[in-house]
Amino acid sequence: MDGIRVGKRLIGTQAPVTVGWENIPRVEGGPVKQFVFTWFQPTVLFALIAFWYYAPNSIAKASTAIGIGIGFKVLLLALEWVNPRYESWRLTWKELVTDLFYVGLGYTLLNMIEKYIGSDAVIEAVQQSFDWDKLSWFTGLPLLLQAFVISFMFDFGQYWMHRGMHNWYPLWLPHSVHHYITQLNINKGAVGNPVELFLIGIGIGGFFDFLPRAVLLAGAIGMAVGTYQHINVRFNTPRWWRFLFNTTEHHSLHHSQDYEATRSNYSNSWIIIDRMFGTCIDGEAELLGMEGGRRMSIREQMTFPFTEGWKAIKARYGKQRFEDAAAVPAE
Amino acid sequence: MNSRYIDWIWHIRGSLPLAAQQSSDDAFDRLAPLFHQTGTHHTRDNDTLTFSKKDQAAQDKMSIFDGGVLQFEKGMSGPVLRYNLKSRVLLFCFLAPLLFLFFAQATIVIGKLESPTDQASGKEKAEKKPEAPRQNAIDTFLGAPAPEKAKDDKTEKSKDEDNKSSPTSAYVFAALFAVLYGVGRILEAILIRRLFAKKLLGS
Repeated sequence: MDGIRVGKRLIGTQAPVTVGWENIPRVEGGPVKQFVFTWFQPTVLFALIAFWYYAPNSIAKASTAIGIGIGFKVLLLALEWVNPRYESWRLTWKELVTDLFYVGLGYTLLNMIEKYIGSDAVIEAVQQSFDWDKLSWFTGLPLLLQAFVISFMFDFGQYWMHRGMHNWYPLWLPHSVHHYITQLNINKGAVGNPVELFLIGIGIGGFFDFLPRAVLLAGAIGMAVGTYQHINVRFNTPRWWRFLFNTTEHHSLHHSQDYEATRSNYSNSWIIIDRMFGTCIDGEAELLGMEGGRRMSIREQMTFPFTEGWKAIKARYGKQRFEDAAAVPAE
Repeated sequence: MNSRYIDWIWHIRGSLPLAAQQSSDDAFDRLAPLFHQTGTHHTRDNDTLTFSKKDQAAQDKMSIFDGGVLQFEKGMSGPVLRYNLKSRVLLFCFLAPLLFLFFAQATIVIGKLESPTDQASGKEKAEKKPEAPRQNAIDTFLGAPAPEKAKDDKTEKSKDEDNKSSPTSAYVFAALFAVLYGVGRILEAILIRRLFAKKLLGS
């Protein structure tokens, strides 16, 4: 495969990818379908912002956000059924069970552990060691600005953590499991080794004292944008959206079987961060995964970082290395 | 105990009547494409086909099965294909509710163990921040509800923390997997029968 030159890089030499918005297919079907799948994303985003901006204090609570989050995912599952991006990404019963198992772990076990050793514990420790009241002027800023700052700061932290995962082997090991997914569906964002979820959850946005409503607004923006990273739905995403925000297209390229393509589009919601640091590629891919699209079992997903890590340690410090070194004659 | 009493949990068995003149070679030839998938190995021995799968692709039509035996039999009323298929994911889904019930119990036990210390630290925190946050003039102009007083904020926060120690989500997932098992056990049995029928009886 020849690949496509993007800046200094050649993308798509190992697996097929599409580069450039002009080459990406649009929603097919009648005018109603076209209308729905063109306006759905911005309508939901602005409706959610308006809701969280104006909702009375009795409604603007985390429990409401969780309810909306679940409802939104169910709606998107229905959209996957109606208008799939690729037939080869169809949600099967087995895929649903696997995905929901990881979603379940996130809501239960990881939630429990995070309280003690994950991001919650880190945030609490940092908040207790500094006098954060000096930053209380943040809470006097306009709500939407606060929400933007929270969302952007959190994403900025995630961008570098994610980029670090793709560039440093000890961080890559827990993240690699997530790259073995072979199709994108609503809950695929949760699939991965649990160790990774601690790492990716540590952002810097949570350290500051914001108004609770601003945090909920930021969460809504994250949900109405970030959810589309892993979804099997074709949208006619507006130009301004795909310039600012991460899309399924961007993220499918990040999950491509082409190694060079995976080293792009690291951000969670704000693809503009990738544009700032030169890691953004506008395009998409259908063939996803590692090792030619080998699907990993849940058992292997749980053990892979440890078994591969052990292999790497043995290769580096093991007996064999010294024996090999001794066999090479000195010059 | 005979394992057949419980192995229906992860085994799907069934039989499919074939056309009177259909031979075992013809039947297995028609089914062959199903076993020419990534990670699938199969052997044919006269009237028996045995297969095993590893790391099967998500879109493999038989992806839920990890192995099985298909037998061509000549019955009184004509040839019949009998199959016995094993599925680890069915067993996993059957056991998943137990795992989530265990998480629920663990959440309750941990919550009980640490509730006295939580209350103490909560009191310390409550003494620190007495003031209500002020609202920006732009938000007041646009009509956003004013932020609540710090005291209410505290109770909200502690409510959220209580939610983190609540076993409800674990119970929800236990129920979800129980339903998913029931759906999968019935649906996948229908789908595989339909798939075999389509391959064997289709023109």
